[in-house]
Amino acid sequence: MHSPDGFLTAGVTGVTWAIAGVGVATALRAEKRDPNPMPAGVLGATAAFVFAAQMINIPVAPGISGHLVGAALSAVLLGPWRAMIVMAVVLAVQALLFQDGGITALGANTTDMGVGASLAGYAVAALSARWMRSARGCVVGGVLGAFAATLVAAVLTALWLGLSGLYPVLPIVQFMLVTHVAIGLLEAALTGAVLVTVVRWRPDLLRGVSSDAPLASGGALVAGLLGVALAIAAFLSPFASMLPDGLEHAAGRLGFSGRAASGWTAPFPDYAMPFVSSPSVATAVAGVVGTIGVAIVAWGVSRGLRPPDHGLHR
Amino acid sequence: MASTDRLHAAAFVGSLALVLAAALAPAGLDGRAVSLWAWATWSIVFVVALLVFRRAGLLLPEALRRVGWLVPMVAVFAVPAALLAPAEEHFMVGAALSIRALSAAAMGAAVATWLGPSGLVRAVRHLRLPARLADVFEATLASLAIVLRQVRAMLRAREARRPGFGAWSDLFASPRDTVRGFGRLVASLLLRSLERAEALEQARRARGGAA
Repeated sequence: MHSPDGFLTAGVTGVTWAIAGVGVATALRAEKRDPNPMPAGVLGATAAFVFAAQMINIPVAPGISGHLVGAALSAVLLGPWRAMIVMAVVLAVQALLFQDGGITALGANTTDMGVGASLAGYAVAALSARWMRSARGCVVGGVLGAFAATLVAAVLTALWLGLSGLYPVLPIVQFMLVTHVAIGLLEAALTGAVLVTVVRWRPDLLRGVSSDAPLASGGALVAGLLGVALAIAAFLSPFASMLPDGLEHAAGRLGFSGRAASGWTAPFPDYAMPFVSSPSVATAVAGVVGTIGVAIVAWGVSRGLRPPDHGLHR
Repeated sequence: MASTDRLHAAAFVGSLALVLAAALAPAGLDGRAVSLWAWATWSIVFVVALLVFRRAGLLLPEALRRVGWLVPMVAVFAVPAALLAPAEEHFMVGAALSIRALSAAAMGAAVATWLGPSGLVRAVRHLRLPARLADVFEATLASLAIVLRQVRAMLRAREARRPGFGAWSDLFASPRDTVRGFGRLVASLLLRSLERAEALEQARRARGGAA
Protein backbone atom coordinates (compact mmCIF):
# COMPACT_ATOMS: atom_id res chain seq x y z
CA MET A 1 0.00 0.00 0.00
CA HIS A 2 3.07 2.27 0.16
CA SER A 3 3.12 4.58 -2.88
CA PRO A 4 6.68 5.12 -4.17
CA ASP A 5 8.10 8.40 -5.47
CA GLY A 6 7.30 9.40 -9.03
CA PHE A 7 3.71 8.21 -9.33
CA LEU A 8 1.75 11.19 -7.99
CA THR A 9 1.31 14.57 -9.71
CA ALA A 10 2.36 17.86 -8.11
CA GLY A 11 -1.26 18.76 -7.32
CA VAL A 12 -2.06 15.45 -5.66
CA THR A 13 1.27 15.52 -3.79
CA GLY A 14 0.47 19.02 -2.47
CA VAL A 15 -3.06 18.09 -1.40
CA THR A 16 -1.95 14.93 0.38
CA TRP A 17 0.90 16.74 2.18
CA ALA A 18 -1.62 19.38 3.30
CA ILE A 19 -4.06 16.74 4.64
CA ALA A 20 -1.25 14.84 6.37
CA GLY A 21 0.14 18.10 7.80
CA VAL A 22 -3.23 19.13 9.22
CA GLY A 23 -3.77 15.62 10.63
CA VAL A 24 -0.37 15.38 12.31
CA ALA A 25 -0.54 18.99 13.57
CA THR A 26 -3.96 18.26 15.10
CA ALA A 27 -2.57 15.11 16.70
CA LEU A 28 0.45 16.98 18.12
CA ARG A 29 -1.84 19.71 19.46
CA ALA A 30 -4.15 17.15 21.11
CA GLU A 31 -1.12 15.41 22.62
CA LYS A 32 0.22 18.74 23.92
CA ARG A 33 -3.10 19.52 25.59
CA ASP A 34 -3.30 16.07 27.19
CA PRO A 35 -2.81 16.43 30.97
CA ASN A 36 -1.02 13.05 31.02
CA PRO A 37 1.26 13.08 27.98
CA MET A 38 2.88 9.79 27.12
CA PRO A 39 6.72 9.80 27.22
CA ALA A 40 8.33 10.07 23.80
CA GLY A 41 10.27 6.87 24.60
CA VAL A 42 7.05 4.86 24.95
CA LEU A 43 5.66 6.27 21.70
CA GLY A 44 9.00 5.56 20.04
CA ALA A 45 9.00 1.97 21.31
CA THR A 46 5.46 1.52 19.96
CA ALA A 47 6.56 2.94 16.60
CA ALA A 48 9.54 0.57 16.55
CA PHE A 49 7.19 -2.30 17.41
CA VAL A 50 4.82 -1.39 14.54
CA PHE A 51 7.81 -1.15 12.22
CA ALA A 52 9.09 -4.57 13.31
CA ALA A 53 5.61 -6.14 13.13
CA GLN A 54 5.31 -4.91 9.53
CA MET A 55 8.49 -6.81 8.72
CA ILE A 56 7.11 -10.17 9.91
CA ASN A 57 5.43 -11.59 6.84
CA ILE A 58 2.97 -14.47 7.02
CA PRO A 59 2.82 -16.71 3.93
CA VAL A 60 -0.75 -16.33 2.67
CA ALA A 61 -0.35 -18.39 -0.51
CA PRO A 62 2.67 -19.63 -2.49
CA GLY A 63 4.70 -16.53 -3.32
CA ILE A 64 2.34 -14.16 -1.52
CA SER A 65 2.69 -12.94 2.03
CA GLY A 66 0.87 -10.45 4.20
CA HIS A 67 1.78 -8.44 7.28
CA LEU A 68 0.18 -6.30 9.94
CA VAL A 69 -0.23 -2.56 9.13
CA GLY A 70 -0.96 -1.65 12.73
CA ALA A 71 -2.88 1.64 12.44
CA ALA A 72 -6.05 0.29 14.08
CA LEU A 73 -4.03 -1.65 16.67
CA SER A 74 -2.13 1.54 17.56
CA ALA A 75 -5.39 3.50 17.78
CA VAL A 76 -6.88 0.91 20.15
CA LEU A 77 -3.73 0.88 22.29
CA LEU A 78 -2.84 4.57 22.31
CA GLY A 79 -5.84 6.53 21.04
CA PRO A 80 -6.30 8.09 17.61
CA TRP A 81 -3.97 11.09 17.97
CA ARG A 82 -1.01 9.16 19.33
CA ALA A 83 -1.63 6.45 16.73
CA MET A 84 -1.42 9.14 14.06
CA ILE A 85 1.92 10.38 15.44
CA VAL A 86 3.25 6.81 15.69
CA MET A 87 2.18 5.90 12.15
CA ALA A 88 3.59 9.17 10.76
CA VAL A 89 6.97 8.42 12.36
CA VAL A 90 6.91 4.77 11.18
CA LEU A 91 6.17 5.86 7.62
CA ALA A 92 8.85 8.57 7.77
CA VAL A 93 11.47 6.07 8.98
CA GLN A 94 10.43 3.62 6.25
CA ALA A 95 10.62 6.31 3.55
CA LEU A 96 13.84 7.98 4.70
CA LEU A 97 15.91 4.99 5.74
CA PHE A 98 14.50 2.09 3.73
CA GLN A 99 12.87 3.72 0.65
CA ASP A 100 9.74 1.73 1.49
CA GLY A 101 7.32 4.37 0.20
CA GLY A 102 8.53 7.55 -1.44
CA ILE A 103 9.69 10.74 0.23
CA THR A 104 7.45 12.94 -1.95
CA ALA A 105 4.68 10.34 -1.49
CA LEU A 106 5.10 10.48 2.30
CA GLY A 107 2.17 12.91 2.47
CA ALA A 108 -0.07 10.45 0.62
CA ASN A 109 1.12 7.47 2.63
CA THR A 110 0.66 9.37 5.92
CA THR A 111 -2.82 10.46 4.82
CA ASP A 112 -3.77 6.88 3.87
CA MET A 113 -2.20 4.75 6.60
CA GLY A 114 -1.60 7.39 9.28
CA VAL A 115 -4.54 9.78 9.28
CA GLY A 116 -7.27 7.88 7.39
CA ALA A 117 -6.62 4.40 8.76
CA SER A 118 -6.07 5.58 12.36
CA LEU A 119 -9.25 7.67 12.39
CA ALA A 120 -11.39 5.04 10.65
CA GLY A 121 -10.00 2.23 12.81
CA TYR A 122 -10.51 4.23 15.98
CA ALA A 123 -14.04 5.35 15.07
CA VAL A 124 -15.26 1.81 14.43
CA ALA A 125 -13.40 0.35 17.43
CA ALA A 126 -14.60 3.07 19.82
CA LEU A 127 -18.23 2.68 18.79
CA SER A 128 -18.06 -1.07 19.26
CA ALA A 129 -16.26 -0.77 22.62
CA ARG A 130 -18.75 1.80 23.91
CA TRP A 131 -21.63 -0.38 22.77
CA MET A 132 -20.33 -3.58 24.40
CA ARG A 133 -18.54 -1.96 27.38
CA SER A 134 -16.19 -4.85 28.13
CA ALA A 135 -12.72 -6.14 27.29
CA ARG A 136 -14.35 -8.32 24.67
CA GLY A 137 -15.85 -5.18 23.17
CA CYS A 138 -12.34 -3.72 22.80
CA VAL A 139 -11.18 -6.83 20.96
CA VAL A 140 -14.26 -6.96 18.71
CA GLY A 141 -13.91 -3.22 18.10
CA GLY A 142 -10.25 -3.65 17.24
CA VAL A 143 -11.06 -6.42 14.78
CA LEU A 144 -13.80 -4.41 13.04
CA GLY A 145 -11.69 -1.26 13.17
CA ALA A 146 -8.73 -3.03 11.57
CA PHE A 147 -10.92 -4.19 8.69
CA ALA A 148 -12.39 -0.70 8.17
CA ALA A 149 -8.93 0.91 8.44
CA THR A 150 -7.49 -1.35 5.72
CA LEU A 151 -10.33 -0.60 3.32
CA VAL A 152 -10.22 3.16 3.93
CA ALA A 153 -6.43 3.21 3.41
CA ALA A 154 -6.77 1.14 0.21
CA VAL A 155 -9.48 3.41 -1.18
CA LEU A 156 -7.45 6.54 -0.40
CA THR A 157 -4.34 5.03 -2.03
CA ALA A 158 -6.35 4.20 -5.15
CA LEU A 159 -7.87 7.67 -5.18
CA TRP A 160 -4.48 9.44 -5.26
CA LEU A 161 -3.16 7.12 -7.98
CA GLY A 162 -6.33 7.63 -10.01
CA LEU A 163 -6.36 11.40 -9.59
CA SER A 164 -2.71 11.46 -10.72
CA GLY A 165 -3.80 10.04 -14.07
CA LEU A 166 -1.99 6.74 -13.59
CA TYR A 167 -5.17 4.66 -13.80
CA PRO A 168 -8.89 5.45 -14.29
CA VAL A 169 -10.31 6.37 -10.85
CA LEU A 170 -13.31 4.04 -10.52
CA PRO A 171 -11.70 0.83 -11.83
CA ILE A 172 -8.60 1.27 -9.63
CA VAL A 173 -10.79 1.96 -6.58
CA GLN A 174 -12.89 -1.10 -7.41
CA PHE A 175 -9.75 -3.22 -7.88
CA MET A 176 -8.15 -2.01 -4.64
CA LEU A 177 -11.36 -2.60 -2.67
CA VAL A 178 -11.73 -6.15 -3.96
CA THR A 179 -8.07 -7.09 -3.38
CA HIS A 180 -7.95 -5.46 0.05
CA VAL A 181 -11.00 -7.29 1.40
CA ALA A 182 -8.78 -10.37 1.86
CA ILE A 183 -5.92 -8.25 3.26
CA GLY A 184 -8.38 -6.51 5.59
CA LEU A 185 -9.61 -9.87 6.89
CA LEU A 186 -6.01 -10.89 7.61
CA GLU A 187 -5.32 -7.55 9.33
CA ALA A 188 -8.51 -7.97 11.38
CA ALA A 189 -7.61 -11.53 12.42
CA LEU A 190 -4.05 -10.56 13.39
CA THR A 191 -5.21 -7.46 15.30
CA GLY A 192 -7.72 -9.60 17.17
CA ALA A 193 -5.09 -12.22 18.01
CA VAL A 194 -2.73 -9.53 19.37
CA LEU A 195 -5.48 -7.82 21.37
CA VAL A 196 -6.66 -11.10 22.95
CA THR A 197 -3.16 -11.60 24.36
CA VAL A 198 -2.85 -7.96 25.49
CA VAL A 199 -6.28 -8.06 27.18
CA ARG A 200 -5.26 -11.24 28.98
CA TRP A 201 -1.87 -10.11 30.26
CA ARG A 202 -1.81 -6.31 30.31
CA PRO A 203 -5.34 -4.88 29.96
CA ASP A 204 -4.03 -1.58 31.34
CA LEU A 205 -2.23 -1.04 28.04
CA LEU A 206 -5.54 -0.53 26.22
CA ARG A 207 -5.47 3.22 26.67
CA GLY A 208 -7.03 4.25 23.38
CA VAL A 209 -10.41 2.54 23.40
CA SER A 210 -12.35 2.07 26.62
CA SER A 211 -15.64 3.11 28.14
CA ASP A 212 -13.88 6.10 29.75
CA ALA A 213 -12.08 7.18 26.59
CA PRO A 214 -10.65 10.70 26.80
CA LEU A 215 -12.88 13.55 25.70
CA ALA A 216 -10.22 14.70 23.25
CA SER A 217 -11.03 11.63 21.17
CA GLY A 218 -14.54 12.92 20.45
CA GLY A 219 -13.29 14.92 17.47
CA ALA A 220 -11.42 11.89 16.15
CA LEU A 221 -14.53 9.75 16.50
CA VAL A 222 -16.58 12.23 14.45
CA ALA A 223 -13.79 12.64 11.85
CA GLY A 224 -13.33 8.88 11.57
CA LEU A 225 -17.02 8.15 11.18
CA LEU A 226 -17.35 10.92 8.63
CA GLY A 227 -14.36 9.44 6.78
CA VAL A 228 -15.92 5.98 6.71
CA ALA A 229 -19.28 7.45 5.61
CA LEU A 230 -17.61 9.52 2.89
CA ALA A 231 -15.62 6.53 1.66
CA ILE A 232 -18.82 4.47 1.44
CA ALA A 233 -20.72 7.30 -0.22
CA ALA A 234 -17.99 8.08 -2.72
CA PHE A 235 -16.88 4.63 -3.65
CA LEU A 236 -19.73 2.25 -3.09
CA SER A 237 -22.65 4.38 -4.30
CA PRO A 238 -21.64 4.15 -8.01
CA PHE A 239 -21.82 0.38 -7.71
CA ALA A 240 -25.28 0.42 -6.12
CA SER A 241 -28.02 -1.61 -7.78
CA MET A 242 -29.98 0.11 -10.54
CA LEU A 243 -32.98 -2.17 -9.87
CA PRO A 244 -36.16 -0.55 -8.46
CA ASP A 245 -36.46 -0.50 -4.67
CA GLY A 246 -39.40 -2.12 -2.82
CA LEU A 247 -41.75 0.85 -3.05
CA GLU A 248 -40.97 1.44 -6.73
CA HIS A 249 -41.51 -2.25 -7.43
CA ALA A 250 -44.88 -2.29 -5.58
CA ALA A 251 -45.97 0.94 -7.26
CA GLY A 252 -45.16 -0.54 -10.64
CA ARG A 253 -47.07 -3.76 -9.88
CA LEU A 254 -50.14 -1.90 -8.53
CA GLY A 255 -50.13 0.61 -11.35
CA PHE A 256 -49.74 3.91 -9.47
CA SER A 257 -46.14 4.62 -10.26
CA GLY A 258 -47.17 7.23 -12.85
CA ARG A 259 -48.96 9.26 -10.19
CA ALA A 260 -45.76 10.22 -8.46
CA ALA A 261 -45.31 13.93 -8.93
CA SER A 262 -42.96 16.32 -7.21
CA GLY A 263 -43.91 19.79 -6.21
CA TRP A 264 -40.32 20.99 -6.44
CA THR A 265 -37.19 20.14 -8.35
CA ALA A 266 -34.43 18.45 -6.36
CA PRO A 267 -30.96 19.98 -6.73
CA PHE A 268 -29.47 16.67 -7.94
CA PRO A 269 -32.39 14.58 -9.32
CA ASP A 270 -31.49 10.86 -9.40
CA TYR A 271 -27.96 11.80 -8.22
CA ALA A 272 -27.23 13.53 -11.56
CA MET A 273 -24.76 16.43 -11.35
CA PRO A 274 -25.06 19.18 -13.98
CA PHE A 275 -21.30 19.55 -14.41
CA VAL A 276 -20.28 15.85 -14.37
CA SER A 277 -20.94 13.75 -17.46
CA SER A 278 -20.06 10.27 -16.10
CA PRO A 279 -23.09 8.82 -14.21
CA SER A 280 -20.81 6.84 -11.84
CA VAL A 281 -18.68 9.87 -10.91
CA ALA A 282 -21.83 12.01 -10.60
CA THR A 283 -23.35 9.47 -8.19
CA ALA A 284 -20.13 9.44 -6.15
CA VAL A 285 -19.94 13.27 -6.01
CA ALA A 286 -23.63 13.48 -5.09
CA GLY A 287 -23.05 10.89 -2.36
CA VAL A 288 -20.19 12.93 -0.88
CA VAL A 289 -22.16 16.19 -1.05
CA GLY A 290 -25.17 14.47 0.56
CA THR A 291 -23.09 12.95 3.36
CA ILE A 292 -21.44 16.29 4.16
CA GLY A 293 -24.86 17.95 4.08
CA VAL A 294 -26.35 15.39 6.47
CA ALA A 295 -23.32 15.75 8.78
CA ILE A 296 -23.73 19.56 8.86
CA VAL A 297 -27.48 19.29 9.56
CA ALA A 298 -26.87 16.66 12.30
CA TRP A 299 -24.21 18.89 13.88
CA GLY A 300 -26.55 21.91 13.75
CA VAL A 301 -29.43 19.94 15.31
CA SER A 302 -27.18 18.56 18.07
CA ARG A 303 -25.93 22.11 18.80
CA GLY A 304 -29.51 23.36 18.93
CA LEU A 305 -30.64 20.59 21.28
CA ARG A 306 -27.67 20.93 23.64
CA PRO A 307 -28.70 22.39 27.01
CA PRO A 308 -27.15 25.79 27.78
CA ASP A 309 -23.73 25.50 29.42
CA HIS A 310 -23.65 27.50 32.65
CA GLY A 311 -20.08 26.60 33.39
CA LEU A 312 -21.03 23.96 35.97
CA HIS A 313 -18.49 21.48 34.67
CA ARG A 314 -15.54 23.83 34.52
CA MET B 1 28.78 20.49 16.26
CA ALA B 2 26.55 23.35 15.09
CA SER B 3 28.31 23.47 11.71
CA THR B 4 27.87 19.69 11.32
CA ASP B 5 24.17 20.07 12.10
CA ARG B 6 23.94 22.87 9.54
CA LEU B 7 25.69 20.69 6.96
CA HIS B 8 23.34 17.77 7.66
CA ALA B 9 20.29 20.02 7.44
CA ALA B 10 21.54 21.55 4.16
CA ALA B 11 22.24 18.09 2.69
CA PHE B 12 18.81 16.90 3.78
CA VAL B 13 16.98 19.90 2.28
CA GLY B 14 19.07 19.79 -0.91
CA SER B 15 18.37 16.10 -1.43
CA LEU B 16 14.66 16.62 -0.78
CA ALA B 17 14.65 19.32 -3.46
CA LEU B 18 16.30 16.91 -5.91
CA VAL B 19 13.86 14.11 -5.00
CA LEU B 20 10.99 16.55 -5.57
CA ALA B 21 12.39 17.69 -8.93
CA ALA B 22 12.83 14.10 -10.12
CA ALA B 23 9.49 12.84 -8.82
CA LEU B 24 7.44 15.66 -10.33
CA ALA B 25 9.03 15.95 -13.81
CA PRO B 26 6.28 14.98 -16.30
CA ALA B 27 6.48 11.36 -17.52
CA GLY B 28 4.09 11.53 -20.46
CA LEU B 29 0.94 10.35 -18.71
CA ASP B 30 -1.04 13.27 -20.15
CA GLY B 31 -0.43 12.01 -23.68
CA ARG B 32 2.37 14.46 -24.50
CA ALA B 33 5.89 13.27 -25.33
CA VAL B 34 8.35 13.14 -22.44
CA SER B 35 10.40 16.33 -22.66
CA LEU B 36 14.16 16.41 -22.95
CA TRP B 37 14.50 18.40 -19.74
CA ALA B 38 12.66 15.66 -17.83
CA TRP B 39 15.15 13.03 -19.05
CA ALA B 40 17.99 15.45 -18.17
CA THR B 41 16.58 15.99 -14.66
CA TRP B 42 16.33 12.26 -13.96
CA SER B 43 19.86 11.65 -15.30
CA ILE B 44 21.36 14.47 -13.22
CA VAL B 45 19.54 13.34 -10.06
CA PHE B 46 20.66 9.74 -10.58
CA VAL B 47 24.30 10.79 -11.11
CA VAL B 48 24.18 13.04 -8.02
CA ALA B 49 22.75 10.09 -6.05
CA LEU B 50 25.66 7.88 -7.14
CA LEU B 51 28.12 10.62 -6.11
CA VAL B 52 26.45 10.90 -2.69
CA PHE B 53 26.67 7.10 -2.31
CA ARG B 54 30.40 7.42 -3.16
CA ARG B 55 30.75 10.18 -0.55
CA ALA B 56 29.15 7.78 1.97
CA GLY B 57 31.88 5.24 1.16
CA LEU B 58 29.94 2.90 -1.12
CA LEU B 59 31.36 1.63 -4.40
CA LEU B 60 29.28 1.67 -7.59
CA PRO B 61 28.17 -2.02 -7.50
CA GLU B 62 26.97 -1.70 -3.90
CA ALA B 63 25.15 1.57 -4.70
CA LEU B 64 23.43 -0.04 -7.69
CA ARG B 65 22.48 -3.06 -5.57
CA ARG B 66 20.84 -0.73 -3.02
CA VAL B 67 18.78 0.92 -5.76
CA GLY B 68 18.18 -2.33 -7.64
CA TRP B 69 15.97 -3.94 -5.03
CA LEU B 70 13.45 -1.15 -5.65
CA VAL B 71 12.94 -2.21 -9.29
CA PRO B 72 10.19 -4.83 -8.63
CA MET B 73 8.30 -2.40 -6.39
CA VAL B 74 8.46 0.32 -9.06
CA ALA B 75 7.48 -2.14 -11.81
CA VAL B 76 4.28 -3.10 -9.93
CA PHE B 77 3.06 0.48 -10.38
CA ALA B 78 4.72 1.37 -13.69
CA VAL B 79 3.86 -1.65 -15.87
CA PRO B 80 0.02 -1.51 -15.49
CA ALA B 81 0.08 2.29 -15.96
CA ALA B 82 2.19 1.90 -19.12
CA LEU B 83 -0.25 -0.70 -20.47
CA LEU B 84 -3.11 1.77 -20.02
CA ALA B 85 -1.27 4.41 -22.11
CA PRO B 86 -1.94 4.61 -25.91
CA ALA B 87 -0.51 1.56 -27.74
CA GLU B 88 2.36 3.40 -29.43
CA GLU B 89 3.50 4.91 -26.08
CA HIS B 90 3.54 1.77 -23.92
CA PHE B 91 7.31 1.50 -23.82
CA MET B 92 8.05 5.22 -23.49
CA VAL B 93 5.58 5.78 -20.61
CA GLY B 94 6.77 2.63 -18.81
CA ALA B 95 10.44 3.63 -19.16
CA ALA B 96 9.78 7.24 -18.10
CA LEU B 97 7.74 6.20 -15.05
CA SER B 98 10.34 3.65 -13.98
CA ILE B 99 13.33 5.95 -14.41
CA ARG B 100 11.51 8.82 -12.70
CA ALA B 101 10.68 6.64 -9.67
CA LEU B 102 14.13 5.05 -9.52
CA SER B 103 16.05 8.34 -9.75
CA ALA B 104 13.96 9.88 -6.95
CA ALA B 105 14.31 6.77 -4.77
CA ALA B 106 18.07 6.58 -5.45
CA MET B 107 18.50 10.16 -4.25
CA GLY B 108 16.56 9.41 -1.06
CA ALA B 109 18.55 6.24 -0.44
CA ALA B 110 21.85 8.03 -1.05
CA VAL B 111 21.27 10.83 1.44
CA ALA B 112 19.95 8.38 4.07
CA THR B 113 23.10 6.27 3.64
CA TRP B 114 25.33 9.33 3.88
CA LEU B 115 23.69 10.96 6.91
CA GLY B 116 22.69 7.79 8.75
CA PRO B 117 20.00 7.73 11.47
CA SER B 118 21.79 10.16 13.81
CA GLY B 119 22.46 12.62 10.98
CA LEU B 120 18.81 12.53 9.97
CA VAL B 121 17.72 13.24 13.55
CA ARG B 122 20.15 16.18 13.73
CA ALA B 123 18.87 17.53 10.42
CA VAL B 124 15.25 17.21 11.55
CA ARG B 125 16.04 19.06 14.80
CA HIS B 126 18.06 21.75 13.03
CA LEU B 127 15.16 22.36 10.61
CA ARG B 128 12.97 23.13 13.65
CA LEU B 129 10.33 20.52 12.93
CA PRO B 130 7.94 20.02 15.91
CA ALA B 131 10.07 18.94 18.88
CA ARG B 132 7.62 16.22 19.92
CA LEU B 133 7.79 14.66 16.47
CA ALA B 134 11.60 14.82 16.47
CA ASP B 135 11.66 13.22 19.96
CA VAL B 136 9.46 10.31 18.86
CA PHE B 137 11.50 9.94 15.65
CA GLU B 138 14.72 9.73 17.68
CA ALA B 139 13.19 7.34 20.22
CA THR B 140 11.94 5.11 17.38
CA LEU B 141 15.40 4.88 15.83
CA ALA B 142 16.90 4.19 19.25
CA SER B 143 14.41 1.38 19.93
CA LEU B 144 14.50 -0.09 16.44
CA ALA B 145 17.71 -2.06 16.73
CA ILE B 146 16.65 -3.62 20.04
CA VAL B 147 13.14 -4.48 18.86
CA LEU B 148 14.46 -6.03 15.63
CA ARG B 149 16.95 -8.10 17.62
CA GLN B 150 14.06 -9.32 19.78
CA VAL B 151 12.02 -10.24 16.70
CA ARG B 152 14.87 -12.30 15.29
CA ALA B 153 15.37 -14.08 18.61
CA MET B 154 11.64 -14.82 18.95
CA LEU B 155 11.39 -16.17 15.40
CA ARG B 156 14.45 -18.34 16.00
CA ALA B 157 12.92 -19.70 19.21
CA ARG B 158 9.63 -20.39 17.43
CA GLU B 159 11.43 -22.22 14.65
CA ALA B 160 13.35 -24.27 17.20
CA ARG B 161 10.10 -25.31 18.88
CA ARG B 162 8.52 -26.33 15.57
CA PRO B 163 11.10 -28.44 13.76
CA GLY B 164 10.03 -29.24 10.21
CA PHE B 165 7.39 -26.49 10.10
CA GLY B 166 9.49 -23.30 10.01
CA ALA B 167 8.45 -20.20 11.91
CA TRP B 168 5.03 -20.20 10.24
CA SER B 169 2.68 -22.88 9.08
CA ASP B 170 0.66 -22.22 5.94
CA LEU B 171 -2.22 -19.80 6.47
CA PHE B 172 -4.51 -21.79 4.19
CA ALA B 173 -3.56 -25.18 5.67
CA SER B 174 -3.98 -24.15 9.31
CA PRO B 175 -5.33 -20.61 9.50
CA ARG B 176 -6.28 -20.69 13.16
CA ASP B 177 -2.89 -21.90 14.39
CA THR B 178 -1.02 -19.48 12.14
CA VAL B 179 -3.01 -16.40 13.15
CA ARG B 180 -3.00 -17.37 16.82
CA GLY B 181 0.74 -18.05 16.77
CA PHE B 182 1.44 -14.78 15.03
CA GLY B 183 -0.83 -12.90 17.41
CA ARG B 184 0.90 -14.29 20.49
CA LEU B 185 4.33 -13.57 19.07
CA VAL B 186 3.51 -10.01 18.05
CA ALA B 187 1.67 -9.35 21.33
CA SER B 188 4.70 -10.63 23.29
CA LEU B 189 6.89 -8.33 21.22
CA LEU B 190 4.56 -5.42 21.98
CA LEU B 191 4.55 -6.14 25.71
CA ARG B 192 8.34 -6.49 25.81
CA SER B 193 8.85 -3.27 23.82
CA LEU B 194 6.50 -1.22 25.97
CA GLU B 195 7.72 -2.66 29.27
CA ARG B 196 11.29 -1.89 28.27
CA ALA B 197 10.37 1.65 27.26
CA GLU B 198 8.47 2.19 30.53
CA ALA B 199 11.41 0.84 32.56
CA LEU B 200 13.79 3.19 30.76
CA GLU B 201 11.43 6.11 31.40
CA GLN B 202 11.22 5.28 35.12
CA ALA B 203 15.01 5.02 35.30
CA ARG B 204 15.35 8.39 33.55
CA ARG B 205 12.96 10.04 36.00
CA ALA B 206 14.69 8.37 38.96
CA ARG B 207 17.90 10.07 37.82
CA GLY B 208 16.17 13.43 37.90
CA GLY B 209 14.87 13.67 34.32
CA ALA B 210 11.86 15.88 33.66
CA ALA B 211 8.44 14.19 33.66
